[in-house]
Amino acid sequence: MNIVLSYLATILVFLFIFNIFSIGLNVQFGYAGILNFTIISFMAVGAYFYAVFAMPPADRSNQIFYILGLHWPWPLATLAGIAASAGFGYLVGLVALKRLRSDYLAIATLAVGSMLFGLAGNQTQLFDGWSGLFNVVQPFGSLAVGSPTAFSWIFVGVCGLVMVVIWLFANRLYRSPLGSVMRAVREDQDVVDAFGKSSFHIRMVAMVIGAVIVGIGGILEIQYIGALSPSGWSPSTTFVVWAALLIGGRANNLGSFVGSVVVAVLFNQVTRFLPSISPSSAYLVPNLRNLIIGVLVIAVLWFRPQGLIPERGGGFLEIPLSSTRGTRMPSGGAGEGARGSTVEEV
Amino acid sequence: MTLVLLTIGFGIVTASILSLLSVGLTLQFGVTNYVNFAYGGYLAIGMFLAYSFSSTLHLPFWLSVVAATLATGLVALVISETLLDPFVRRRNSRFVLLIVTFGLSLIIDSLLQIIYGPSFLEYPISQSQPVSIGPFSFTVAQLAIIFVAIVTMVAVHLLLSRTALGKSMRAMSDNLDLARASGIDTKYVTRWTWFLSGSLAGLGGIVLGMNIVSFQTSSGDAMLFIVFAAVILGGIGQAYGAMLGALIIGLATEISASFISSADKQYIAFAVLLIMLLIRPQGIIAAKGRS
Repeated sequence: MNIVLSYLATILVFLFIFNIFSIGLNVQFGYAGILNFTIISFMAVGAYFYAVFAMPPADRSNQIFYILGLHWPWPLATLAGIAASAGFGYLVGLVALKRLRSDYLAIATLAVGSMLFGLAGNQTQLFDGWSGLFNVVQPFGSLAVGSPTAFSWIFVGVCGLVMVVIWLFANRLYRSPLGSVMRAVREDQDVVDAFGKSSFHIRMVAMVIGAVIVGIGGILEIQYIGALSPSGWSPSTTFVVWAALLIGGRANNLGSFVGSVVVAVLFNQVTRFLPSISPSSAYLVPNLRNLIIGVLVIAVLWFRPQGLIPERGGGFLEIPLSSTRGTRMPSGGAGEGARGSTVEEV
Repeated sequence: MTLVLLTIGFGIVTASILSLLSVGLTLQFGVTNYVNFAYGGYLAIGMFLAYSFSSTLHLPFWLSVVAATLATGLVALVISETLLDPFVRRRNSRFVLLIVTFGLSLIIDSLLQIIYGPSFLEYPISQSQPVSIGPFSFTVAQLAIIFVAIVTMVAVHLLLSRTALGKSMRAMSDNLDLARASGIDTKYVTRWTWFLSGSLAGLGGIVLGMNIVSFQTSSGDAMLFIVFAAVILGGIGQAYGAMLGALIIGLATEISASFISSADKQYIAFAVLLIMLLIRPQGIIAAKGRS
């Protein structure tokens, strides 16, 4: 029974953390239409900076290297991590949001993510390269000495609380004027500019808010596990977050929760029993898992593009790709089925 | 000085590999008007099919290369017809295509890993000693790569300038609706474009495998955004721009290796990509009528 409870606690912690990632991506993509193909880098930045602020200086004699190592108390280090991911979101936004739309934006974020991944792995001086950081200070660790189960349950509480706060914040944001204008930018950036609002600033705000949220998730994750290496945030993890958002339903946080449950939990846990099929190949299951996630996402995009729980109050209209050729065709409909059969609610 | 000349030689090899990949990507984007994020996957398919043909089936190497190139083109064509075209026809889901190709790249990567495993593989060709040509030093494989690239670029040039298909591709790339109105069979041209793009990706993957000698399924991933850098530098949709971009990036990354550590080479490409996106996203050779 104890094992089951412990397992359940671990699953819940990961579910809550993963949902925090989805909400963050939701603010960027679901609200403001930013195609961020490297959402997981924000998690890494938040986590790594929390760690290097919270840990004591690097023990070079043991071949462990990292920058800083200021040994701050963990609440301050948490704030530092959040600031770092906000800063990183700001920088990425500066580069990517100024002039780029759709596919160029996707390429830019993908490039940034690849770069960061390579940088973190190869430059051992930064965050200890591929081995990553470990023995990271874990808050509440002293409360649950000797009992990993108790520690897990404490974190269930903490992560659940943080997730609920972020969820409420995101819902509030959605209903606020800022949320409305973000959704306007998502639908048609030029119209928003024509009305005198700076779509760049609005998207930047969405970017930074999303970055902060994902950074918080990253900090929670490194606090829970106590370690993080680049293999924990590979580019394919970005796609799992996207899958959760798309399958569950964009632009609404209940949808992203459902998506998180379906993809991150159900899916990952169910496939845990696959190794019994082929015990010889250890790499088979993760690849099979990624394969099925890819197929699932494409299937959902085809059969039910709005996800399991669609956005209320009007569809998620098409974002025209950056039309760098000739005139822009007025694509997508205007409002609910205004153009009849040509527009499908996406 | 000899070091710089040597790196220029390596730069030419890298540029050759990049030129194949860049032209394939830019031609496909020009005609279809969306980025194929699974392009890295096609690269890997070519790389590994050549391995299968030559190592497992023991076909002569040159035959494996040809067969793998054509097979990859075929795969690209089939994927476009069965998977991507239905999404394209649903006109209101253009951005969805990006996510679909992104998912497709994940599928292809996973599939290749399942089939071929995570270990490093090599082509069954003998590794010869480098040959000195003037101030440069190439292996036989590298000379072959440069030769293949030059021949292919000439062939692409002839295709684009002399054949009806090539002219149709350029027309579609310039202005899709005008091309349709002029009576160009866009479906036919699109299919051939995908076949060509896939073939070039496959060939690029094979020569990449020949250059790095030992490769694995993820070897193509790092290459992908260097290809993006070259394509965007040259002007997306412009084949000659892609060749130019490939040359510049290939030379720049390799020559920079004489100043900075070679693990940092790709950061040059990254820097070029970001700078281009910031100041001139339409590239060096911009198409008429693009924003």
